Amino acid sequence: MNRPAAARLLALFSLSALALLFLLATSTTIRAQQPPAADPWGFDDEVKVETWGDILRPQALDIALTAGLIGFALFSFSRRSKLLKYTTLALTVAYLGVLKSTMISVTDIFRLVDLNLPEFKYSVAWYMFATFAVVSTVVWGRFYCGRMCAFGAFTQLLDVTVPKRFRLEPPLWLERRASYIKYGLLVAVVGYYIATKQTSVYRYVEPFWMFTRSANALLWTMLAVLLLATLVVRNLYCRFLCPVGAMLGIISQVTTVLPIKRWSECKTCKICERACEWGAIQGPKIIKSECVRCDDCERIYADHKACVHWLMIVKKERWAREGVKGY
Amino acid sequence: MKRLLAFSLSIVASGVVLGAADRIFTNPKPDVHLKRLFPNAVAFSPLTGSPLHFTAYSVDPQKNPSSDPLGFAFWTTDLVPNEHGYHGPIHILVGMNMSGVLTGVVVDYDSEPYGYFSVEPKEFAAQFTNKSIRDQFRVGGDVDAVSRASLSINSAARAIRDSSRMMARALLTPDAVKR
Repeated sequence: MNRPAAARLLALFSLSALALLFLLATSTTIRAQQPPAADPWGFDDEVKVETWGDILRPQALDIALTAGLIGFALFSFSRRSKLLKYTTLALTVAYLGVLKSTMISVTDIFRLVDLNLPEFKYSVAWYMFATFAVVSTVVWGRFYCGRMCAFGAFTQLLDVTVPKRFRLEPPLWLERRASYIKYGLLVAVVGYYIATKQTSVYRYVEPFWMFTRSANALLWTMLAVLLLATLVVRNLYCRFLCPVGAMLGIISQVTTVLPIKRWSECKTCKICERACEWGAIQGPKIIKSECVRCDDCERIYADHKACVHWLMIVKKERWAREGVKGY
Repeated sequence: MKRLLAFSLSIVASGVVLGAADRIFTNPKPDVHLKRLFPNAVAFSPLTGSPLHFTAYSVDPQKNPSSDPLGFAFWTTDLVPNEHGYHGPIHILVGMNMSGVLTGVVVDYDSEPYGYFSVEPKEFAAQFTNKSIRDQFRVGGDVDAVSRASLSINSAARAIRDSSRMMARALLTPDAVKR
């Protein structure tokens, strides 16, 4: 990452941290109680004033681990390292998935619809996580989908363990059309929620409940079918079906601050387009709503032996050395 | 024409949203729940008073106005309306006798995504029966923790604790509530 970009990033993050602190300061009114002697009831929670220490202590581990995971994900992203990325994915599945079952869900969109959000002071780690999901999407695109979503991380890990010969790549025309299904699903499920106010529908459109390991036979069957299909078509759910991915896709389409750079050679070269596992590259253009910032193409751009941009420079230098006409 | 269409569409959409927002309300006729909380009661007052509550009577107050009530029932959503779980307030009807012991709680409505394995199972409500309002109500201590649903469980436990203590302060005396 170049310097101005890093500086901008730092500024953005300090700004959002400030905003978070402001929220912290304003959202809570700490109950001021009379001194204990004046209260004949003497309930254990009310004799002393509830301090931030009391509120945050039980959450401290959760906050630290969430912050650590976010930090590690950003580190792995800044290094463009494949090994670090898969380490992040494994940590995401273990902590955000198996242990906490915390994912951005379509129910979070339901809650935005009727502005029913959890209390900030008792849910600091969740707010950190959700804020990061949105802010990172504004900055880089669907970074959350590519690294912080436990289900997405799980299917990506599945993809590297399943032998390549099982894989089926959908034809381009089908892939492009299928990627619109998720927007339809988003509209349908939010519409259904507004009309009926039934949150429980979310389990039939999202497999994220998987990590809670409690569901009925129909849901387990649906999950089994989805996972079997995912073995063949990689990241099937994320690419074609996920309503949250659709929502984040809309955000990144409108406002990606730091998009992936393209060389002028990308107009004709197809290496990255073929390498992209998410079908997010179309000729010279990156479809922001499909890109999850997996780094695969950026690793190619940086590879002086693979990327045509660098090969051309080397070639031109040789031509110049050899005195080829025009160079 | 296009603009008119967009305008009318957004009007309809906001109408639907506003209409839908009104649909969640406290159960207006929780008779079955009241019977469950006070099986020996013969009569219940309507939801009145400040803070709002039902009063449970063992003798019909119209026949014998001086008889003591059995206890009170109240909605957590009336007493601590700002107590939000993961998705808004959890509607819990709490029964409390005259000595500050809970006769039971009923989780009537919730929209918690993880409610189906946290606050909705019978086991959650059951552990509050015969619980004194002087107890700690600490999740992981005297209230069972449910991993992956701590926001919902914590909120429901706080709502029950805070609302019953508020009710005791308003309607009971510290001496009646045994330490």
